[in-house]
Amino acid sequence: MEQLNNPFKQPSRQSRIAIGIILIKFIRTTIRAFWPIALSFFIGRKTGNSFEDYIMYVAIAFAAINLGGSILTFFRFYFHIEEGAIVIDKGVLRRSKTNIPFERIQTINFKQNILHQFFGVVSIEIDTAGAKKSEMTIDALDKEQAMAFRDFVMKEKAELAEEATTEATEVPQHEAPSELIMKLSVSDLFKVGVSQNHLRSMGILFAFVFTTLNELTDNIEEMVFEELSGYEEQILNNTWVLIGATMLLVAIIAFLYSLISTVLKNYDLHLSLQKNGLKLVKGLLNREEISINKKKVQVISWSENPIRRMFNMWTLGLEQASSEDASQLKSKIDVPGAYMQQVEKVITSIFPAEFFRPEEQHAVSKLLMFRIILFLGVFPALIAGGILFYNFQLQALYVLIWPTLVGVLSNLYYKKRSFELNEELLKNNRGTLGHIYELTPIHKIQAVEIRQSWYQRRKALANVKLYTAAGSLSIPFIPLEKAMALEKFVLYRVETDKREWM
Amino acid sequence: MTQIFENLPVNVNELPELAPTDLQPIDKRYLKVLLIMQTIIFLLLAIGGAAIVYFSPEIEPILLHFSYACGPVLLLWAISALLAVKGFKKKKYALREKDLLYTKGLIWSVRTSIPFNRIQHAEVKQGPLDRIFKLHSIKIYTAGGSQSDLSIPGLPEETALRIKEFVLGKTAEDGATE
Repeated sequence: MEQLNNPFKQPSRQSRIAIGIILIKFIRTTIRAFWPIALSFFIGRKTGNSFEDYIMYVAIAFAAINLGGSILTFFRFYFHIEEGAIVIDKGVLRRSKTNIPFERIQTINFKQNILHQFFGVVSIEIDTAGAKKSEMTIDALDKEQAMAFRDFVMKEKAELAEEATTEATEVPQHEAPSELIMKLSVSDLFKVGVSQNHLRSMGILFAFVFTTLNELTDNIEEMVFEELSGYEEQILNNTWVLIGATMLLVAIIAFLYSLISTVLKNYDLHLSLQKNGLKLVKGLLNREEISINKKKVQVISWSENPIRRMFNMWTLGLEQASSEDASQLKSKIDVPGAYMQQVEKVITSIFPAEFFRPEEQHAVSKLLMFRIILFLGVFPALIAGGILFYNFQLQALYVLIWPTLVGVLSNLYYKKRSFELNEELLKNNRGTLGHIYELTPIHKIQAVEIRQSWYQRRKALANVKLYTAAGSLSIPFIPLEKAMALEKFVLYRVETDKREWM
Repeated sequence: MTQIFENLPVNVNELPELAPTDLQPIDKRYLKVLLIMQTIIFLLLAIGGAAIVYFSPEIEPILLHFSYACGPVLLLWAISALLAVKGFKKKKYALREKDLLYTKGLIWSVRTSIPFNRIQHAEVKQGPLDRIFKLHSIKIYTAGGSQSDLSIPGLPEETALRIKEFVLGKTAEDGATE
């Protein structure tokens, strides 16, 4: 392949800003690894004069090592393009030279943290499939240069692919203009923040506080007890006030946490349609640009919760096939705050549009509801009730609230649980308080599993699980006959389909 | 019989059905491998339990205490051996024209089917115990994570290699006709 106008032929370094960015990355990883130790030094220190000096020396040594390391890392990092591959030559102590052939590159994504944004540079992430290390990063490159780099690589890659397929190359795809699908305005962003799952933020906060305490002290129970021992009198007198106030405070903090994190993550979100897929740009402090390849999308989901329903908003989820060790976060891309027509636009532009239509809903067996009530409602209530009865006698009847609640919720769940099928697409409907819909083209399925418990065998029911290269869809408690028919049909469709699936 | 999915262009009833005769049991010697493996694990656990009783200065090394330590382990051993023997019959595989099936499970029965044109690669493996009994297992890899990977144990060498050749030949063929 001729590469007459390859602007990246010569090995070149990154933008000089990279030194600062690498330095910050270094410091961040060191702090992340050592902060509990540092913090426990400060908290647990005994009075001593030499201690302050000691800390200072450590800090200076730490800064010097980091600075030296980042400068060396910068000067020992070269990248260039040769013979259909990106070549990265790097490493101070352990040198490495990595070749990434174009055909293995999945996407090239841009990221900008606040420093990048200030200096007008971007960091480039090259996502590859099948390679042991699934990602290569170039820490900082001028924005124009980065764009040129990506366009060049993607163009070469497309030409390579065209050469490989000997079909007539009558694809005059000259830079199709991208079409904006959605954009989060400030008010939409606020709505998304308000309708976030605040219970989850509460969980994250609790986990954070708990792990932090765990790092600092070996015995949380003892610490809490000591801290609280002074207030014992007041606590006994004002328990309800205290509990109420604490709950209110936790709720407010959780609310603010999810609101702020949503705004930071999704600020100025743009989703646009491009030649081969979608492009997503979002974020305030860390600005991200993610390319989504149409072919790689395996599952599209859209979901809402009761608050989001008031705003008519959905969370759109795109699951992409990815290499084995790419994190789960990476392969699933969430776009919150999409309106229905935008969701539909995305679906119809990625999956065959004419098959996206409502079909007959196949419900699951009602026995699923009874099983949930029995195992999650009645059994725990019986056990808890038995124990409580021993201590509180008739007040133990309060546990009856639990199975009732489970009954109501599982009924909601049962009513929403169904699946729809046509010759191209399979749609899974579920949700308890909200709705979750998952959609996958049948030819993207790569394994079918039919599972039956001993109980299900007696009732001729089965669970079906359909695996794609990114996540799976499960359909529980359908008649065995239907499960087998579904299996037969899916296998038939996959085996006779010659289209590329990832 | 009425059609289950009426909106489909093909009649599902006319699609190839899995005949019970397609399913082949895995090699009986693999049951021995399973039982020996269990024996080793549970023996180690039982010895550990006995050692605690024997060496601990606080526990009197009498028969009753030994049985407290080892009894539950031996009971679990018996149960899992029973499950292995009973469940062994359920381990079956089928090599069909366009896909590979594997069934297993006594209490939870599972049947996994993977079409050949979705298999990424296959690997024949042999553990130390397998080597004694001249058995092999075949591992089938699919794309994107290990969730839908499949492993079929207890195959004689020719069968394992034949399946591998077959599977890889099929995947190459399907890939070529794109």
